[in-house]
Amino acid sequence: MGEFLVSLIVALIKIAVVLGVALGLGAYLTWFERKLAGHIQARLGPTVVGPFGLLQPLADGLKLMTKESIVPRGADMPVYYLAIMMAVAPALLLFSVIPFGPEFEIFGYSIKPIVADVNIAILIVFAMGSLAVYGTIFSGWASNSKYAFIGSLRKASVIIAYEVVLGFAVLGVILLAGTMSTVGIVEAQLEKGIWFIFYQPIAFVLYLFCMLAESGRVPFDIQEAEAELVTGYSVEYGGMKFGALPLAEWYLNVVALSAIAVVLFFGGWSGPQILGPFSPYFWFLVKTFGLVFFVIWLHWTLPRFQARDVTEVAWKIMLPLALLNIIATAVAVYITGG
Amino acid sequence: MEGYGAIFVFALIAVIVGLVFAFMNEFMGTRKIDPMEDYPYECGVPVYDPEARGTFKQGYYLLGLLLILFDIEVAYLFPWAVVFRDIGLYGLIEAVLFILILALGFIYAWAKGALRWQT
Repeated sequence: MGEFLVSLIVALIKIAVVLGVALGLGAYLTWFERKLAGHIQARLGPTVVGPFGLLQPLADGLKLMTKESIVPRGADMPVYYLAIMMAVAPALLLFSVIPFGPEFEIFGYSIKPIVADVNIAILIVFAMGSLAVYGTIFSGWASNSKYAFIGSLRKASVIIAYEVVLGFAVLGVILLAGTMSTVGIVEAQLEKGIWFIFYQPIAFVLYLFCMLAESGRVPFDIQEAEAELVTGYSVEYGGMKFGALPLAEWYLNVVALSAIAVVLFFGGWSGPQILGPFSPYFWFLVKTFGLVFFVIWLHWTLPRFQARDVTEVAWKIMLPLALLNIIATAVAVYITGG
Repeated sequence: MEGYGAIFVFALIAVIVGLVFAFMNEFMGTRKIDPMEDYPYECGVPVYDPEARGTFKQGYYLLGLLLILFDIEVAYLFPWAVVFRDIGLYGLIEAVLFILILALGFIYAWAKGALRWQT
């Protein structure tokens, strides 16, 4: 019983830390994105609330929390609320399999800085990525608005198209590492002494495209498409219900998928020991944040694809490429013995 | 509590966080009824069709069918990739055959025009 209680407390502490990091990072990425977008467009971005506008996310959060709750007429009430939960929960659960660093010892207990070190971690990432479709579809269906409905259908078609490519892109890394555990993949890279991006450059490019598409970022943001669909499936939501949809989609998903990309292709926490015991965490966060920065940079630089191009690129170019990559990798692993 | 238990606890907490996000405004928001406040958004003109969930493009349905074909294929290939080194040449040939058969279905769908988004 004592052992179970200790492990439960350890798990709860890890979950609290991950939740705090995820939600705090999500909130502050809004500030970072607005600041960056401002400077890209030769503006200043938020400057008024606090030094450098640093308190802006808090002000926005307070404002969203105290808004009146409005449900559009003709909306499907239970589904309308369920959609928010279905958007936020899978995005948070993506963080459950991200390893932030190597195992360490504290008070005689050895602790892994990962919520759940399971051997099907990559499958969990896919399961949660697919579950995110429900948040989109529910919100579009329940809102009783044509804009929301079209936006949610577009988003669903993008997610299902790129989910497939994502699966095939990641298969190459799993072939090289011989495991689906995220900790195992990082350790395989540390053992080989090389990041998997050098073995799997095509897979990384495919993964990057899929990451942009899954999180609804430019150039794949046909579901938002401000000029045509206002903001797509979130148009009939207000208050924190509105805040939760972009938070889950644009920030939590991007951070989680960037962290998974770091695990798969950039050697996870590997890096020179410059900060003593904290250097693994430092390197992991630096690499993750580099990818997040890249995504936001693209968002404010590129124009948008047409809906037609988005689906056709996924099925006609990226899927055959991914299939060839898998077969080539399998043959190479067989010949060299890994 | 190490692996799946922790995921279960995290899932419960994530669902609660999601529900808090969904219902926060019911408790913290103001309440001031306006007769038109729940009118669906339609660029300032009256809504043409009060029911928005009508017909939609059948291409989405076809893509959904293709997803079933390929997502299940990926799900079958994951365990193969994990044990690939232990099953050797036999596993390699079997998997290539499996991918080829599904690629055949994919080419059929392509030739039939299932991937043509705009005609």
